[in-house]
Parts: sequence; structure tokens; C-alpha cells
Amino acid sequence: METMEQSLPERLDLYTCIQCGKCTGGCPVSIKSPLNIRRVVRESAVREDLHVFFSRLEIWDCTTCSTCAIRCPRGLRPVDAIIGLREMMVEEGRIEKTIIDALDGAYKYGNPWGRAKNKRAEWAQDLEIANALEMDPGQILYFVCCAASYDPRVQSVAKSLATVLRAGGVNFGILGNKEVCCGSEIRRMGEVGLFEMLMEENMKNFTKVNPQTIVTTSPHCMNALKNEYEGLGAEVLHYSQFVWRLIEEEKLSFSTEVPMKVTYHDPCYLGKQNGVFDEPRNVLKSIPGIEFTEFGRCRENSLCCEGGGGRMWMEGTNVGKRLSEIRVEDALEMGVEAIVTACPFCLLTLEDAVKTTGNEEKIKVIDLMELASMGLGVRPEVEGRR
Amino acid sequence: MDIIVCIKRVPETAEADLVIDGTKKAIETDDLVYSINEWDNYAVEAAIQLKEAEGGTITVISVGPEENNEVLRRALAMGADEAIRLTDPAFEGSDAYAMAKVLAAAIKDMPHDLILTGVQADDDGFGATGVALAQMLGLPYAALVTDIKKEGDTLTVHRELEGGLEEVDTLKLPALLTIQTGINEPRYVSIMGIRRVAKKEIAAKGAADLGLSENDVGLNGSMSQIEELFFPPVGEGAEIIEGTMDEKAETLVKILKERGGIA
Repeated sequence: METMEQSLPERLDLYTCIQCGKCTGGCPVSIKSPLNIRRVVRESAVREDLHVFFSRLEIWDCTTCSTCAIRCPRGLRPVDAIIGLREMMVEEGRIEKTIIDALDGAYKYGNPWGRAKNKRAEWAQDLEIANALEMDPGQILYFVCCAASYDPRVQSVAKSLATVLRAGGVNFGILGNKEVCCGSEIRRMGEVGLFEMLMEENMKNFTKVNPQTIVTTSPHCMNALKNEYEGLGAEVLHYSQFVWRLIEEEKLSFSTEVPMKVTYHDPCYLGKQNGVFDEPRNVLKSIPGIEFTEFGRCRENSLCCEGGGGRMWMEGTNVGKRLSEIRVEDALEMGVEAIVTACPFCLLTLEDAVKTTGNEEKIKVIDLMELASMGLGVRPEVEGRR
Repeated sequence: MDIIVCIKRVPETAEADLVIDGTKKAIETDDLVYSINEWDNYAVEAAIQLKEAEGGTITVISVGPEENNEVLRRALAMGADEAIRLTDPAFEGSDAYAMAKVLAAAIKDMPHDLILTGVQADDDGFGATGVALAQMLGLPYAALVTDIKKEGDTLTVHRELEGGLEEVDTLKLPALLTIQTGINEPRYVSIMGIRRVAKKEIAAKGAADLGLSENDVGLNGSMSQIEELFFPPVGEGAEIIEGTMDEKAETLVKILKERGGIA
């Protein structure tokens, strides 16, 4: 591409790919989508004109779970070839309407759903949470981000986390209406410029607040802030890491019995991409009454829910059974009452799958913080989705 | 083919809680997000598609303060070649007629084969600026255009009429079209694309540059003025459906069936 100094294959070192196919072998959508990531890598390297990809809807099937990058014996990141191709499509403006709407929403309103800026902190209005911009430096900043701010289902996670943090004696604040989208999904939909804009906006406020630790609702935000934001001095933790630390330091414990047989679904951005496997499990197991069973496919081998990489706004080719439905069926076979997860997108896709497979009476999907809140004797008020 | 597209910067109101200001003639705009008028975005895309097929140039024009450079730059990033901003305190309060005079004064000395505007603007919703402009420039025009084909110096356009009717017209160039939404799929404009045109000069012209006097524009030069803005009074006839989610859905489906909304 003219605008970049290096071509896509040069930038990503794609010429060194040995075409072993481990990427495709591990790709969770390859069982149902025409997307063949090994072939995408090869074609990206040898094709003179990458416009050939523009008409291939399956480029949008990729959930950016990054299993391909973990499995690559050459240490390449095939997933970045997908994102690179999306960047080209975005640059030429040739993207689907639903993606355009998400990007426009993030640009104008700071969230990909295009919801009003001044409603961002509505979820917290009765909770008397401190304004982080008025706190002393060195405190805890809770970075809520978009799904937990606006989606009625995920708002319950933010409220539950607030309950848990308070029980742990943590002084924390939020940016309220000054917070904008972390940009993680925006970047994965190929809009690098907009990602940078959102990052700059958040960084301005992070610098003002100067927190010791930033705690995020979503593993996607944690990944973006920790690994992609430039010049951020604060420690960035997903809530599961922070809450486990509270438990380890004996600042938090659960006293209410929650008799429930559960399993845990590893969010890709928490587990595969950031190696956070034990903390959420440890939190889970410290709640009295919980009976825990592992999925067959867990930890590094966890099956992606298909909610990442812009898939919340774009269906791609959408062929075959949703992976989240497979996940729900697996859980039913294990005889658990609930799937616990720790990511807003996993929560929404898995809950949708419970509904589409008609299993609402048999199994629930619960966020780890909702369960923790129950362990403190506070039942989360879970609203249905709009 | 030289195309001129007239674009407007308007507040987005779909998600906003609107408040009428103290004058009762305008809304409070402090918290509102602005963008290009939706119809005009389709007009810019239509111009770019014509340019891609036929060659030529695209000039975008907008009337308003410096903030309007935002929408002009966006159009440049999208594919327009030049941008002009018409600005003067005297333009304040112009209705569609006076606005058309401002645009006509700027366009009359510019080379043009085709002028595009949106059908209407999202804020005032007059739907008159485009056709008034055509009249002033003495151009043939078609409003509510949903399809454009060019052959030689003749345009064949489709117009969207009431009741699902479509009219097909032919016009000789130069001409003016007001563009309806849905005529195309406007392309996305990336932030990097906008950054690339950040330094491009946008000419600004005032009333004097356009040879307009204070009596031509603003309230003095308008045929109409806003008397009062108010929210429609709450009426009767609304029915709130009660019950559980399932009962509500069942009742709703029944009502929709009864009244012919669904088969």
C-alpha cells in the first residue's frame, strides 16, 4: 500500500511463513468458514494486488482470538495479516455499513454503539462512585468501557464489580462521561487512525488522574491498554487479576454460600493472549458452595465465543453453527448449572447461544463478578438486553 | 465533468435530548455532535462515482463558520478536489431562499456541468435550497433523485415519488439534482484519510466577495423566518401494553395483525 513504508508482507514478515498450516489447524472459525488463514498469509505474500481480498467477506469472519499467533512455530502473527487487509479496506472506504456505523459511533460518541456521550455513566448514577479526575494521584482507576457502560446486561457486571471493590475496601474512581472507547475493537476492524485518536483522548485523562492501577471490565480493554497504549505508566489489570490480589492479601473474602455447579469459559483476550488463566479460577474457587468443573477445551485450547475482532458489529459469512452454541451444548453435557466467564463479549454471545438453543431453563451465563457479588450476599440485578 | 456539491454541517439529533433555548427559535447545541447532513453525504458519494466513471473535478461548498471545514475536509478525504467555505456574519438567519442566493452567487462564476445537493437538511428540513438554487442559476433540475445515468450531455435520472412510484426523467447538462438517501452506499472516510488532507487550503469567501449586500442575505434577504419552536403536545390514542414479556409480545403481534401491519 502506498501510504505505508513497508508492504503488508514485509511489515509482518509473512515471506518467512513455512506454510505448515498449524494456524488453520487451530483456527476456531476454520471449521465453518471459508476463511483459511494459512492461505491468506501465503496470498498476502505473493499477490501483487491485495484488492483481490476486498470482495472476500470471510476476512471479517476472523475473531482475532489469536490462536494462530500462539501456534505459529515461526513466531509470526497471521491474525495481523487479517487486520492489515481490513486496514486497507478501511482506508479505501470499502467496508460494510454495520462496520461504518460502529466506527462512526466511536468517532462521534466515543462508543461503537453510537449511544449518547452524556449517558455513559448512567449505570453508576445511584452508586456514588468517585470521579477519578478529582482523586489524588496513585489511586485505582476503574476503566469501564463501552459494553459495561451502555449494554443493560453488562451494566450488571460493572455494578457487581463496584460492589466487590467496595467490599475489598478499595478507593476507586471512574472517568464517567470523559471516558471513551479503549479502541481495541476499532483497531481490529482496521481503523488504526481512530484507535490512535481514542487512545490519545483516554491518555489525556489517564495522565491527569495518574493512577497506580487501572482495572478494566473487559479483557479486550486490558489488552489494549497494557499492550497497545503508548506511554502509559500505570499498571493495567483485568478485574479478575485485581480481585484475586485482594483475596490473596486477605482484604476480601466471600461468606455467603453460592451452591452452584459451574464451569469457566476462558475469554481469548484474557487467557490465550495474556496468559491470565489461574486468577479467574482462583476467584471462582474462593466462593463457598461453588462446585467447579473444567471444560474439555479450556485454557490455551479454549474455544472462542466469536464475539471479538469486530464480530459484535459484523457477521462475516456467518455460516454454520455458532461456536458459542457448541460451547453451551458442551456445558449442558457436563451437567453444570452455569457458565461463568469474565468478558462482556463472551457473556453476551454465550447468553445469546443459551437463548437460540432454547436452553434458558437449563443453564445460565454469569459473569465472574456477578458470582463474586453473590458470594458477598448481594444478588446482581440482571436486566434483559434491549 | 465539473461537479459542485453543496453540503451542510448539522447537529445529530437522533440520540440527543433536545432542549429549546431561551429565544424559543433555536435548540441548545452545546452538547450536540455535528456531522455532514446525511443526504449531502450521499450527494458527495454520487459525485465521486460520477467522477470515477467520467473524470472531471469535484468542488464542495458549505455555508457556515470555520467548524464547517470539518465536513469540507471529510469530503476532500472522500474524493473531492477542492473545497470552498462561504462565511459572513450577515448570512446568519438565512432561510432556504437566502441560502440559495449565497450559493448561487458563489457558483455562477464557477465552471459547472452538474450541481448536487441533498434533498433536504436534517436540521431545518426545508427541502428547498437545492431547487431554489436551480431556479436562480437557470438550470434544469430533478429533486428526490435515486439513480443517475449519464450519456453524452444528457442525464437520465430516477425520482422517488409518493406511494412507491418512480419517475424517469432526462435532463440536459448543465443541471442540478437533489439527492435522496439510499441512492448509493457512501464510502467510509478514515481518520488517516482526513489527516492526509488536513493541510489542504480551504478558501473562505464573505458577502462582499460574492457581491451580496446585507439586504440580500440573513433575515433581511429571507422570505420566511422562524416564529417559534415547540415540542408537539402529547396527544391521545397511544396504548401501553401491559403484562409479562411473552404476553406483551403476543398482544403486540395480535394488534399488528389486526391492523394489517403484518400478514
